[in-house]
Amino acid sequence: MVGEEYRGTKQWSRNKQAVFTVLWISFLCAAVGTMVFFALFDPADIGSAYDEDLQLDRDAGYAAGFFFFWVFSVACSAITAFLVRTAPKRDAAHRDE
Amino acid sequence: MSDPKSASMYESAKKIYPREMGGRFADLSKLATVSLLGLFYLVPWLMWDGHQAILFDLPARKFYLIGLTLWPQDFPYLALLLVIAALSLFFFTALAGRLWCGFACPQTVWTEAFIWMEQLTEGKRSQRMKLDKAPWSWNKIRRKGSKQFLWITFSLWTGLTFVGFFTPIRELGLELMTLSAGGWAWFWALFYGFATYGNAGYMREQVCKYMCPYARFQSAMFDKDTLIISYDEKRGDPRGRRKRSVDPKEAGLGDCIDCTLCVQVCPTGIDIRDGLQYECIACAACIDACDSVMDKMNYPRGLVRFTTEHAMQNEQTHVIRPRMMVYGALLTLLIVSLVTSMALRTPIILDVIRDRNSLYRELPDDMIENIYTIKLINQSNDAREFKLTVEGVEGIHLDGIGDAILVDGGGVLSVPVRARAQRDHAFGVMKINFIAEALDDSGDRRVEDSRFLGPTP
Repeated sequence: MVGEEYRGTKQWSRNKQAVFTVLWISFLCAAVGTMVFFALFDPADIGSAYDEDLQLDRDAGYAAGFFFFWVFSVACSAITAFLVRTAPKRDAAHRDE
Repeated sequence: MSDPKSASMYESAKKIYPREMGGRFADLSKLATVSLLGLFYLVPWLMWDGHQAILFDLPARKFYLIGLTLWPQDFPYLALLLVIAALSLFFFTALAGRLWCGFACPQTVWTEAFIWMEQLTEGKRSQRMKLDKAPWSWNKIRRKGSKQFLWITFSLWTGLTFVGFFTPIRELGLELMTLSAGGWAWFWALFYGFATYGNAGYMREQVCKYMCPYARFQSAMFDKDTLIISYDEKRGDPRGRRKRSVDPKEAGLGDCIDCTLCVQVCPTGIDIRDGLQYECIACAACIDACDSVMDKMNYPRGLVRFTTEHAMQNEQTHVIRPRMMVYGALLTLLIVSLVTSMALRTPIILDVIRDRNSLYRELPDDMIENIYTIKLINQSNDAREFKLTVEGVEGIHLDGIGDAILVDGGGVLSVPVRARAQRDHAFGVMKINFIAEALDDSGDRRVEDSRFLGPTP
């Protein structure tokens, strides 16, 4: 006799799985992307290269970079997840090919 | 909103109430939690040589690792370190299964801390389940309120500590206290605090089941010699309830009394008796639970235990096997190369940028001049004197720079220099080398190439 609150009842719905997985994996990718990008480029230099008067402070640069990467990765993962989940099912006749 | 269930976008997961269970592995897990969290909260406050011992100073773009100062140019070391960390994870996974998940992963460690606070305020499993079902009362408000208070305080402290790894924590703490901290410091502290609160307070092992990539692909590192938590089916089945006085053999029963304690304690809500499942994070709570029951029944411990697939089939378990040798060899190679390259690291960075606006200049006394901007970084912690020279064209020399250039410890010197050579030797595009040499006994020098332009012959 296994308790009611266990065994299959506690699973997240497919939608919830998709939303949180997309957010989380994009977050990790954005973190790595931000790290590599800002190891190579100084946000203070990027601002002044665009406009000599633009003094982008580093904290804001890092944050902007991180959120750029995150939004970008979320878009990429979300579209991929959407396409994978909504792909047409192969019909039974061709399933074994 | 007549039917809240259909209005909700997601079907909510039934809440899991893991039952608390003491035992050998619970003690080990507590030890791991206390030491890892202790390290996390303590380390930013440690000082070394006048600066924070471990500080990834992003605003200044310098990483302080105890006595070592790393610069953005040292990024390859960090990359190598991350590769080593990943490979170590593979190594230990192949050897001992998901030890990382059960005892060292931040998700597990913080969840453990949050569950401890939950038990402190809301009581044991049965009390928590009753409290959740009960209508709102003063007692419920008090218990839930104090849990939230502990969780939120702890999360905010976690956020502050996290930001303290990236900006000096002593100043940051003072600034947050006096509400004079910058917007981004607040933002990241709250962001990380909120993530901790959500992950450890609510999502818990759902993160491992649905969101963790490692949990899905760790099976690729597993083989029949990997340490796993397993129920001994041969010994346990057929399962059945019985009185302590009954001899299981005579009753035709195995050692499992089907008390379901192993299921009740499982934080991911699986039944370990169904075999190895990817949800299992190897926290070993079921081992503790089963051992306590076996003790009560006077049966030998280990009906659920850490073992290997080979051992379960009464075969030899091989610790040293090709997979371990490959992982081990790669790991050793990478660690040796990291240590060697760090030991041989020259703490000088030299950047040479040719003036983009002019090709060359002809001087009256038949000389050709090119202009460069030199960036000289002294990565050591003490001030040092350097000599800058250039070679590659006969008679080439530098003008406008002294013989001994003083650069402060951790300082960056940016200076324009003119390189001059006789017109007879300077034609077209010529490769030259700038050399920065430390004026002490260390022999530290750094060479950086560039181009010298002259008239087309």
